[in-house]
Amino acid sequence: MATGWPDRDDHELLELIQKGSHEAFAELVRRHTNRFYRIAYRFVQNKENAEDIVQDAFLKLWEDPARWRGELRNKFTTWFYRVVTNLSLDWLKRQRTVELDEELPLADERPTADESMTQAETYKHLEKAIAALPDRQRTALNLCFDEGLTNQEAAEAMGLNLKALQSLIMRAKTTLKKRMRSYL
Amino acid sequence: MNDNRDVRLERMLRSRQEEAASPDLAERIILRARKIPQRQSISLWRFLRDLCVEFHLPKPAYVLAGALALGMVVGLSTPSEDPSAPSGNDAQGVFAADEDLL
Repeated sequence: MATGWPDRDDHELLELIQKGSHEAFAELVRRHTNRFYRIAYRFVQNKENAEDIVQDAFLKLWEDPARWRGELRNKFTTWFYRVVTNLSLDWLKRQRTVELDEELPLADERPTADESMTQAETYKHLEKAIAALPDRQRTALNLCFDEGLTNQEAAEAMGLNLKALQSLIMRAKTTLKKRMRSYL
Repeated sequence: MNDNRDVRLERMLRSRQEEAASPDLAERIILRARKIPQRQSISLWRFLRDLCVEFHLPKPAYVLAGALALGMVVGLSTPSEDPSAPSGNDAQGVFAADEDLL
């Protein structure tokens, strides 16, 4: 790797990518793959599919780097969160054959969790409950609770203002509290 | 009670686990990209910017070109004052005048 690449910011790298620099692309991918994998995983809950989504997003950027419009002064990561989120939601729409709402009973209808309930099971239920949320609430939740992303950035990634995002989060949490009553 | 639940839910949301990505994921993406040609779709703004760079001229040349353009605009917009000057429309009249002299 050429020395100096890590010193360049994302926007400089993107300008070089637009001129066809593989080295700049490699640096950008190494820098951000894990964070975007993490957000894709939160949606699809599967390693292979999350990796495919991240790969797809980066390759689309490479193929057509003019998609990134630096003159609009967007932060690259905010814009790319939106790309990865949209790809994840598209993937889910293609895969969704069973309505998760039907599959997931409300906490009240379920026997109370006993103490032997493992943490893994609790998290499994949490993921199911999150998966059953409407797309926008789920996206808001996934972005806001991802480390390294502020609420303002999450709002920008969703094309919302901060208040609208907070309202989505509040509604999502209210639903989750109902559905996770036995585990909280 | 409700506050406790809020706190617990927040804590759970912040500690969601995920399977780690393959360590070679980034390298796989980089290798795949090397086999894919870039699409050269140029936006209008980029095209204009590149065009300006392509035709980069020193400042005096811009001044000269500007003066010439201004001169042409002024020249074309000012009607001719000389009534004896032949207009472009009656070229035949000019030739006829020449014939009289001969």
